[in-house]
Amino acid sequence: MNFLLRVVGFSVLCLCIGGTTWLGGCTRQARGGASGVEKHGNKVVIDFWNGFTGPDGKTMEKMVKQFQAQNRDIEVRMQIIPWGTYYDKLTLSLAYGGAPEVFVMPAARLPEFAAFDTLEPITPLLATAGPPLKSEQFAPVPWHASFYKGRQLALPLDVHPIGLYYNTKLFEEAGIVDRSGKAKPPRTLQEFLDDARKITKDTNKDGRTDQWGFVFTNQRSNWLTITGQFGGSILSPDLKTCVIDSDANRKASQLMHDFIYKYKIAPRPEGVDAWLAFRQGKVGMAMEGIYMLASLEEQKGLPFAGAPVPQFGPKSAVWGGSHLLCQPAGISLEASRASWRLMRFLSDNSFEWATGGQVPARLNIQRSPQFAALPVQAQFARQLPFVQYELLSPRANAIFPFVDPAIEAVLLDLQTPEVALKDSQRRIDQVLKRP
Amino acid sequence: MNTVSVKAPQTGTTYQRRSDALGFFFALPHLLLFATFVLGPVLYGFYISLHRWHVLAKAHPFVGGSNYGAALSDDIFWVALRNTIYFVILVVPAGNLVSLLLALGLYSVKRFRTFYTVAFYLPVVISIAVVAVLWRWLYNTEIGLLNMYVLSIVDGLRGIGLSLPPYQPIPWLSNPSFVMPSIALMSIWWGAGGNMVLYLAGLNNIPDDYYEAAVIDGANAWQRFLHITWPLLKPTTLFCLVFSVLGAFQIFGQTYVLFAPGSGPARSGLTLALYMYQQGFNQYEIGYGAAIAYLLFAIVLVLTVIQFRLLADRENTPRRAGAKAKEVNA
Repeated sequence: MNFLLRVVGFSVLCLCIGGTTWLGGCTRQARGGASGVEKHGNKVVIDFWNGFTGPDGKTMEKMVKQFQAQNRDIEVRMQIIPWGTYYDKLTLSLAYGGAPEVFVMPAARLPEFAAFDTLEPITPLLATAGPPLKSEQFAPVPWHASFYKGRQLALPLDVHPIGLYYNTKLFEEAGIVDRSGKAKPPRTLQEFLDDARKITKDTNKDGRTDQWGFVFTNQRSNWLTITGQFGGSILSPDLKTCVIDSDANRKASQLMHDFIYKYKIAPRPEGVDAWLAFRQGKVGMAMEGIYMLASLEEQKGLPFAGAPVPQFGPKSAVWGGSHLLCQPAGISLEASRASWRLMRFLSDNSFEWATGGQVPARLNIQRSPQFAALPVQAQFARQLPFVQYELLSPRANAIFPFVDPAIEAVLLDLQTPEVALKDSQRRIDQVLKRP
Repeated sequence: MNTVSVKAPQTGTTYQRRSDALGFFFALPHLLLFATFVLGPVLYGFYISLHRWHVLAKAHPFVGGSNYGAALSDDIFWVALRNTIYFVILVVPAGNLVSLLLALGLYSVKRFRTFYTVAFYLPVVISIAVVAVLWRWLYNTEIGLLNMYVLSIVDGLRGIGLSLPPYQPIPWLSNPSFVMPSIALMSIWWGAGGNMVLYLAGLNNIPDDYYEAAVIDGANAWQRFLHITWPLLKPTTLFCLVFSVLGAFQIFGQTYVLFAPGSGPARSGLTLALYMYQQGFNQYEIGYGAAIAYLLFAIVLVLTVIQFRLLADRENTPRRAGAKAKEVNA
């Protein structure tokens, strides 16, 4: 009896364990979840995922409603997922089924997903649902970012470079004005340092600086911008070798370090909500993405303006990103065509999208008088010809965990740029050597 | 007599069998759930750790122990392990001491004991995400409450005529040397109430007779603690220590919420569980992540066995108790 019990118990355990393993394997086979077409009556249902949790989400929602009003045969179910969990959900849906018919893919992540064949080529769709779309109609940088190994896998929606936000009140108080008496943003490194020094103050005379000329709000984008201007990069052009420990990168890192410890125009990036400080009017300048515009517009009584980032190094470069619209690999023809109509509509009407704090990828919209009338967007858009994406490598996601700590270590004065970048290079090389 | 002596064991055996079957029947739902949701995934995780397994990849080739080899030669793994061990060393002894002191304090309090017990236990029920956000504000270098307290103490010392250098705010979360002690302090505040309740239960189980006898013999409070309370709390202490070590080795939420994925200045907040998570769920290299998980499991297993061997009171270990029970049955 005891023996029988043990046999039964062991069998049950084996069944459960086997079942779990089998389920894991089964779900793996259900890849390409969007293979069928869901219908509500005569309407084709398409799921649309994005991570627009801020005011941009409301703009997108409005655009989707407009699309639905004009396309009665399609029902769009838009799901806004915070970026923090967006990739987890998207990755799992692409791997194990349940992927949406349309989803937003940041340009810097496209190579990673494309390398695993999870995205559907869109070339056959370009000539459908309206006049054919051609490369000449798009800004070159995002257009090229939508390709991976010669195949176009996405439709670029926008470009969002960082730019210089400056507090016009603090500028005017410090006497940094043009002939008409308006705040004048810096264009060169020297102007930037001079302006920042004038603004940096101990306003309440307690011996501690409480008004800063500049703050680092996003270390990665700021570093990539400055190092890009010195001609630096993380990987070699063929993406096979790490070159982060270069003279250009060391110079850029040293300059950022000097902002804090030599020129004393920026606080140490520790325990301070730098962006909040800018919003509260305690900071003269910050280099942030155009998508942060809405949060400044929400801030009552904050006088600010936008300008291209100053020229810190010998070259023109600015960090930027793009939202690309993608379809999952293996999507059915009917679902793909319906999804394309939404993608096309969003691209054709991307002026609306620009008002939420973006630069449209479509050149005709960029060059329109309406767009030129958007003060900050139009200023940031001047940088589009030299926008640099983070790193268009399938390994970017595995590489940045070794870049960010190096930048942070330099800015916190924990390591010299030489030591930090050398260490970073060694570790990134380890990543690149992985099969 | 002989007939009875022959039949009695048979009856006993039949009863035992029925009892076993009934026990198994009652345990079956749990066994099914355990096997499906714990044991199965654990073994499946081991299977994954033997493969090169990216979530998006179509094929997952078998690589044997390569993931384990890669982890052991990955210096970030060792950084994370060192940070984790440092955290365990900081938090386990100090945390248990705080819990014991709280329990002793509560045990001696007669009025409002329940109120104080609930008050000290309350942080345990708060989510770690909330705790970490709360403490991030407390630790803020510029406007944090802790630095304000330190500043007021410094001002107070100056007020009584001490000459002190200008006060520099303590960079609790931005100086690598302060990061782990800060996390440990926060974790002790968060978790001390849990072990406190266990110690309190242990104290309540010690008969008053022993103390009365000791008082009659002239033992003072310290002697009573040393020779009665502490030895009789040993099983509780063992339990608390083992579970504290298990919990501390799995530290994740604190560093995940306090620091961005980079895990703090100079990776000083990167722990093994967090590194495992980053590899598995940020890099989607779940084969490698699973290998790290199993290495963590092996370390914790070895430490737990050592703890049992070093600290277990021979009279109170389950094995001894079982052996004693067998002796009685025989």
